[in-house]
Amino acid sequence: MELVNKFRVPVSVDQAWEVLTDVERVAPCIPGAQLLSVDGDEFTGVVKVKVGPITVQYKGKAFFEEKDTSARRAVIIANGKETRGQGNAAALVTAELKDEGDSTSCVLTTDLSISGKAAQFGRGVLSDVATKLIGQFADRLEASLKTDVRPSAAAPVHAEAPAPQAVSAAAQPDEAAAIDLLSLVAVPLAKRHIPPVGAGLILGLVIGFALGRRRS
Amino acid sequence: MKSAPFDYHRPDSVGSAAQMLAEFGEDAKVLAGGQSLVPMLALRLAFFDHLIDISRLDELKGIERRDGTVWIGAGTTDATVGADQEICTAVPLLTRVTPYIGHFQIRSRGTLGGAIAHADPAGEYPAVALALDAEMEAASPSGQRHITAAEFFTGLWETALEPDEVLTGVRFPVWTGRCGFAVQEFARRHGDFAIAGAVMAVELDDDDRVARCAIGLLGLGSTPRRASGAEAAVAGRPAGEVDAEDVGTLAMAGLDDIPADLQGSADYHTRVGAALVARSWTEAITEASREATNA
Repeated sequence: MELVNKFRVPVSVDQAWEVLTDVERVAPCIPGAQLLSVDGDEFTGVVKVKVGPITVQYKGKAFFEEKDTSARRAVIIANGKETRGQGNAAALVTAELKDEGDSTSCVLTTDLSISGKAAQFGRGVLSDVATKLIGQFADRLEASLKTDVRPSAAAPVHAEAPAPQAVSAAAQPDEAAAIDLLSLVAVPLAKRHIPPVGAGLILGLVIGFALGRRRS
Repeated sequence: MKSAPFDYHRPDSVGSAAQMLAEFGEDAKVLAGGQSLVPMLALRLAFFDHLIDISRLDELKGIERRDGTVWIGAGTTDATVGADQEICTAVPLLTRVTPYIGHFQIRSRGTLGGAIAHADPAGEYPAVALALDAEMEAASPSGQRHITAAEFFTGLWETALEPDEVLTGVRFPVWTGRCGFAVQEFARRHGDFAIAGAVMAVELDDDDRVARCAIGLLGLGSTPRRASGAEAAVAGRPAGEVDAEDVGTLAMAGLDDIPADLQGSADYHTRVGAALVARSWTEAITEASREATNA
């Protein structure tokens, strides 16, 4: 199954790229995800997804297959295994950023394959769930990006001073939230459109999709 | 395959069922007819530590005509709904849609409230509830509230019910006048989840103009859907001037999450959906026109 998602973030392409390729920044934005360890470009995580009565949890690894800074293109491969079943999920995510002056557009192409009971039960709703998760991820990432880059966006001159504060203020709640995300996912995912969001989807996808998402 | 272990509870009232839900939180799930939940448990797609069985609560059963509506207790089985004369007269869509639900064994245990609370996008009762603007009645330890169908279905298997709320009944408006109703559903085998389906209610005025039209769609998104665009397009128009295929095409126009699955591409689902809407339009209009002749 191939999913294509496009969104835009109100930051420069350099900033978006930096966030997108920083696992620790992106992981907390993934609904239901918990980053367990990071080893260079390889990271391990758990993603738990609950949709209605169905719960699926995946544990797995993801790594950057390609990080082409000049082309602003990253390819991530992720593989996850159900923690309570025998299903597997694999994702190959290609993220491409495009400079649009003040903002950055991002195109994510996710090639997702899922096996196991959850997939059999899926009946085509998988992509909808994936879309919703991406939407949530995007919201969080956007919030995180906005908090983080406010100084440069609003007042370039004073960027240095406020920035550290903003960063720490933003990062901490996110970290705390990462743990709660596990339970957060249980909250009905409101139906929403894919919002204009952040670059970090890639990573999100990686872990999110690959590891986590297939319950439908 | 067997379900993971769980504790079975059988409270003696809706009030205590809601209390239990409040107590156990997301580890608990209401069990009604169990025709969706139990397979999910057995396949280990779903895991709950506590099942709260409401299937034997008499207060959740019954069919009552109240003002311009028919109230149906959430625990009323599909089989009862499908065979009830009052429903057949007052809310014919429920009667006609019931045979499409699974198989008769499933309809003997499955409940109207269970189907609506489960909110399967291919579910028949959710589509009828949405099309007719039914009202859901829910009870929790903090009291009772009503939720409109438009607000109720929030996502795939997700509803506006709070974790401590039990769906206790559904109120369906009764359409009177020169009305016609139709149900069209397509599945590869009877009882499978529908590839697509449409439920249609039409009322004509004395000049054969469309006084109102309600179209519910199933299997064409992550929730049951309303074909609002098509409904608006036919409202007020002389029924004879409306092209059935146009209604079908319009009904598909506003849909943004039509599934693609092993049964076919999104395009295929769309074409099936449009054809079913067109057929149900013709059938409902024919029925409504016949009413005129009789009257």
